[in-house]
Amino acid sequence: MRWKKRKARHSLLFIIALLTLSIVSLMPMLPTDHASAAKKKLVMGTSPDYPPYESVDAKGSGEIVGIDIDIAKYIANHLGYELQIASMDFSGLIAALQTGRVDFVMSGMSVTEERKKSVAFSESYYTARNTIVSRKDKAYETVEQLSGKVVGAQLGSIQDTFAQTIPGAKQKKLNKIADLIQEMNAKRLDAAIVEDAVAIEMVQANPNLVLSFLPSSEEDTGYAIAFPKQTKLVDAFNLELANMKANGELQKIIDKWFEGKKTAVNGSTGGLNIDFGVLNGYVPYILKGVYVTLLFTLVSALLGLCWGTVLSLFKISGVLPLQWFATAYTSVFRGTPLLVQLTIIYYATPQLFNFDIPALLAAGLAFGLNSAAYLSETIRGGIMAVDKGQREASIALGIPYRKMMARIIFPQALRHILPALVNEFVALLKESSLVSVIGVSELMRRADVVRASTFRAFEALLFVAAIYYVLVLVLTSLARMLERRLRRSD
Amino acid sequence: MIKVTDLTKAYGKNQVLKGISTHVEKGEVVALIGPSGSGKSTFLRCLNLLETPTSGTISIEGIELTNPKTDASRVRQRIGMVFQHFHLFPHMSVLDNITFAPIEVKGMTTDAARAKALELLARVGLSDKADSYPSRLSGGQKQRVAIARSLAMEPDIMLFDEPTSALDPEMVKEVLNVIRGLADSGMTMLIVTHEMKFAREAADTIYFLDQGILVERAAPDQFFNRPQSERAARFLEQVL
Repeated sequence: MRWKKRKARHSLLFIIALLTLSIVSLMPMLPTDHASAAKKKLVMGTSPDYPPYESVDAKGSGEIVGIDIDIAKYIANHLGYELQIASMDFSGLIAALQTGRVDFVMSGMSVTEERKKSVAFSESYYTARNTIVSRKDKAYETVEQLSGKVVGAQLGSIQDTFAQTIPGAKQKKLNKIADLIQEMNAKRLDAAIVEDAVAIEMVQANPNLVLSFLPSSEEDTGYAIAFPKQTKLVDAFNLELANMKANGELQKIIDKWFEGKKTAVNGSTGGLNIDFGVLNGYVPYILKGVYVTLLFTLVSALLGLCWGTVLSLFKISGVLPLQWFATAYTSVFRGTPLLVQLTIIYYATPQLFNFDIPALLAAGLAFGLNSAAYLSETIRGGIMAVDKGQREASIALGIPYRKMMARIIFPQALRHILPALVNEFVALLKESSLVSVIGVSELMRRADVVRASTFRAFEALLFVAAIYYVLVLVLTSLARMLERRLRRSD
Repeated sequence: MIKVTDLTKAYGKNQVLKGISTHVEKGEVVALIGPSGSGKSTFLRCLNLLETPTSGTISIEGIELTNPKTDASRVRQRIGMVFQHFHLFPHMSVLDNITFAPIEVKGMTTDAARAKALELLARVGLSDKADSYPSRLSGGQKQRVAIARSLAMEPDIMLFDEPTSALDPEMVKEVLNVIRGLADSGMTMLIVTHEMKFAREAADTIYFLDQGILVERAAPDQFFNRPQSERAARFLEQVL
């Protein structure tokens, strides 16, 4: 009996320690101290899934490399700053600028009127030429040939804008370059408008695709560096860009990346065209995502469980303000999209609390708070399902409320709700892919990075799908073991 | 030992107890009988505040239970209660069921609680079931464990709320024998029961309740042979 008591206390301590440990270990995962930007530090936001401009050197150092990075380093160096790179999804870049999480953005970002409304741009540093990429067996070479065909482009890109001007073509906008390849292979796209540097690599990695250059146009605005409005940095950067253009440094960097990326990939042209050989060298990079995904799931699940338990106790407390609070909380967190909550927590925390919350911590917090809303209902149901007599017997024995809950009611409630808990945790594990929006490099994000680097649509996706499946299998079999233990008394 | 004055209990407009006053001496065994809905169980549950009285006072050895300043759980520790449906903790072994409260509430050492539990199990004839889980026990065995669980807190008073009503007939006797043994040992007890024979043999006093009123309070001989009220006479006619 004594060992049991000690065990119960230990497991509580263990959970608390685990929670603290995981939160602490989340801290250093992103550069956090950019509050000291004034002290000669510049944070650059980028979405490293667009080689050769920016990609993760997944086979090597794991760092973010590319044309944009080299240019940024050069300028930062000349201006006397230290450069830090924050990786996030392309769709999160503008928000990161506006909320001051990054000082500038270089991510193959083209100047558009729409973007100009919210950010300031430097002079452009590179103007790409557009190309038509299509299947070898049904190649297209001119804009005229595309009339009546389905033409794809990356959403929000300058090529997307161009594609809209092709007479008679049907538009299809997709998020990633890899998606374009996939759609062409599936014959849902006849052709894609892609910029030259990217197109060359696409064709190299997918021998069934061909490219043809389009005439360059005066209207092309090219890629530029984005800043928050009203920053003095723009002028300084423009000056350095002009210098780089004049002294040939810019051209040197561009040449280096366009020349140096000639990697031949063998691929078959028939069938589904899957060749896991392309993942060679990327596997360790992807596997590192398992740790991030698991850590994230653990934090959010523990937080969800603890906070959900507290909320469920509020709901059955009979104290009206507590009940109202818990009900309103549940209603809000269930009634708004998780992605919105995640974005708000990540971007608003630094402004509200003057705390530069690391991305993974923000993600764990958002998912934990959200999950707690759902779990509080599950747990409440579990508690209600425990026979009222258990409570009365405990009261009659003089057992205090807290002990009664912890040792008599919860263990029985847990048995009822275990299957529902496992469902919730499996969902958390898989939904974790959402957090790539704020730049957490979990499994799904890494798959996207590798898809971008390899210019291959399927292999990385299938690989991480298999990893997710194995993780879920492990989780469910652990749960089954726990369930068997709890059913011991039947 | 127990003094009840003008106890009433109402659920909304439904008046369940309509002013009950009585006192129970130390060592007295009281059997509460009466038609269903007469308020017997409610009265019993008021005695350890499982139900909050609407008005009136209850005091146990001079401590006023109905005073909001009284620490209810301290008083409850001195009052054991046995329920119709046992309410054993299903996720604990028989031994853990019995030792949980002594260790967690009274701060007894594990060894002492364990020794005490084994002694109590022997007393209710279940020494071999210490490591079983409640789901493996018959109804009669469960109720005997429940009695042992209450006794482990060393109460001064034991309350029994229809302890044999949920049992198969062949198990009633084993439970009643345990309760009878307890009565013989001088424990102060209040028992709500439908077992008239048992009430007659084991109780010192019979309380007859009807419609929330303590109609008769008499020794068994007198009550069963010469009921004073017409209601009691009619009730006895129906059950005997």
